[in-house]
Amino acid sequence: MTIQIGPPPPFDPELAAALDVLGANLPSAVTAEMIQPMRDGALLAVAGEPDLTRDGAFTVTRRTVPGPAGDPGIELLIVAPAGADRALPGLYHIHGGGMILGDNTTGIEVLQDWAAEVPSVIVSVEYRLAPEHPHPAPVEDCYAGLAWTAAHAAELGIDPDRLIVAGASAGGGLSAAVALLARDRGGPALAGQMLLCPMLDDRNDTPSTLQMTGRGVWDRTSNDTGWTALLGSSRGGPDVSPYAAPARATDLAGLPPTFIDVGSAETFRDEDVTYATRIWQSGGQAELHVWPGGFHGFDLLAPQAAISQEARAARLRWLRRLLAG
Amino acid sequence: MRDLAARLTALDPDAGAALQVIAYFDRLTEARAGLQSIVRGAAVLAGCPARLADEHRRIHLRVHPDGTNAAAPIPTAEQPGRAPSAAADQPGPAPTSATVEQPRPPSDSAAGQVDEAWMSVVVADGALLWLERAGPPGPVDAMILERAAGAARTVLDRTRHHPPPADPALLELLLDPDAAEPSRLKAAARLGLKPDAEVRAVALPDGRARLQSTATPPPDATMRAGIGPAGPIAALPSSYAAARVALRFTAEGTEQDPGPRVVHADHLGGLALLAAATDPGGDPIPDVQALHRTAATAPWALATLDAVAESPSLRTAAGALRVHHSTLQERLSPFDHLLGWDFRTPQGRLRLQLALALHRLTRPPSR
Repeated sequence: MTIQIGPPPPFDPELAAALDVLGANLPSAVTAEMIQPMRDGALLAVAGEPDLTRDGAFTVTRRTVPGPAGDPGIELLIVAPAGADRALPGLYHIHGGGMILGDNTTGIEVLQDWAAEVPSVIVSVEYRLAPEHPHPAPVEDCYAGLAWTAAHAAELGIDPDRLIVAGASAGGGLSAAVALLARDRGGPALAGQMLLCPMLDDRNDTPSTLQMTGRGVWDRTSNDTGWTALLGSSRGGPDVSPYAAPARATDLAGLPPTFIDVGSAETFRDEDVTYATRIWQSGGQAELHVWPGGFHGFDLLAPQAAISQEARAARLRWLRRLLAG
Repeated sequence: MRDLAARLTALDPDAGAALQVIAYFDRLTEARAGLQSIVRGAAVLAGCPARLADEHRRIHLRVHPDGTNAAAPIPTAEQPGRAPSAAADQPGPAPTSATVEQPRPPSDSAAGQVDEAWMSVVVADGALLWLERAGPPGPVDAMILERAAGAARTVLDRTRHHPPPADPALLELLLDPDAAEPSRLKAAARLGLKPDAEVRAVALPDGRARLQSTATPPPDATMRAGIGPAGPIAALPSSYAAARVALRFTAEGTEQDPGPRVVHADHLGGLALLAAATDPGGDPIPDVQALHRTAATAPWALATLDAVAESPSLRTAAGALRVHHSTLQERLSPFDHLLGWDFRTPQGRLRLQLALALHRLTRPPSR
């Protein structure tokens, strides 16, 4: 049966307007030559160093902990509510950036917004980036940081029974991958995985991927750039590890409660919906939100839009149900 | 990246920022976004709270610059006895351009009420949009207000006043006797007609058609129109054919072209047969030529004959023409001779009515 692929779903009106205003220097298609300029800030301007302490509401520490065996140490950025007097949930954060961009402060403001509502300790990992460090370096860095965090939970003020992994985009894909690793290696028992518009499938050929070619944020070309940086010529081939591309996993049983959200107008829509479906089919628990007219990372670009507010509220409600108490 | 207002402030207000404000609201309008989105856009772009109050429609919106809705305080109360006038409830003409003006001073400025220092703009009759910035206005505040008001006006026009115009192609299909019945029924459904609807076709002088049913209000009463008989959807092509015949019997209703502006096919009776026997622009029969000769004698002649033909008595005709009864008698006295028959007898009156009808039917096509 062939699937008739129609035009891309329209963007939500407010998101479309924001994309028009802000999207001028946000290319749909990221190519390999653009990786270095983007890292240098030529394409993605950062408006100054944010105050991670939020006027003293959080304490901020950076620790270098052992990396994967034989590899260099990795830096964990630890952001905790100031003056906590009991063990709190732990949010192990893996940043996004297509496997090729970002650092452990990228997107951390979103987690700080959660921690302000559901007091939690954030641990954000600085993993090595592709293409300089292809698979398995990024995911093994992330897993080493998670294992260290779980082992040192008491020291960090984290309740080890309430430790989740969370990440957006490539960070969502890596979060799904470390959850698979934790399951398969008998590693930390995770309380949940929060996968925000996760990047899961290196094959890059779903209907949503085809629909969004040249459109929106992180289109099919960008996705090819990111996956090729991570996997080289094996991208899309028969031998890709599920720890690189969790969509490749044949067994999704035994995973912790899962939250997945994604926009209907983005490359990752179909692979994310499929991942949730397969978790259910394996007997697992997943909450899936597909936000109509959302492009990739819509709530970061346009947090004020009504649909972004709803997406953020839904995440917070899931966290409260899972972690509060 | 996250802060639209900061980003706009950093741009040249005369060029870049203004263009982005225009693009933002144009895009909202294009996508038919609602009032919430528009007021939110104003707040987000300006970086201060924005509010919209429409007293007639009972809309009170207030949005923080982070996009969250704020409790909208009941806006400045009207003074007792200064309730919105009844006329203001009519969909009045919207201002053609946004005018930035000072809002009315608050009558009893409780906390959260409108501050007279805020910049505001009239969206529509009774509707105002404010940017709640107490200090000096931002570089593009006026532009934000103007574009947001324009977008909001579009929403109000769309949602309150006019039903969306029917797709002309669908209507054409629906009225086409040669179109297959299933396609016509599908067109009817897409135009929002229920399968068992009773519908009339309406023919308009410019060649357009309308539908008239319980779901669609009758066309503007001042519009010149021929109205077909009501019936099921399947009978719409014949209703439209009858409506176009009825349209030929209409007139401008002026002194030069007296007669009814709206004619119902249902009321034509045997007169409809006359339409089939004549062509617009065809040769007038002698009685119509006589009518034209008589009409040429005075600007009021044709209207006078029409009133006499249509009124039950000369006295009523005089009333309709707003002349004295004796004046009418005086004006009519040469007409027997000019016409060549006595139009005061029942037979003569029928002959006059037929002449007037044939005069309308044989007029050259107007457009």
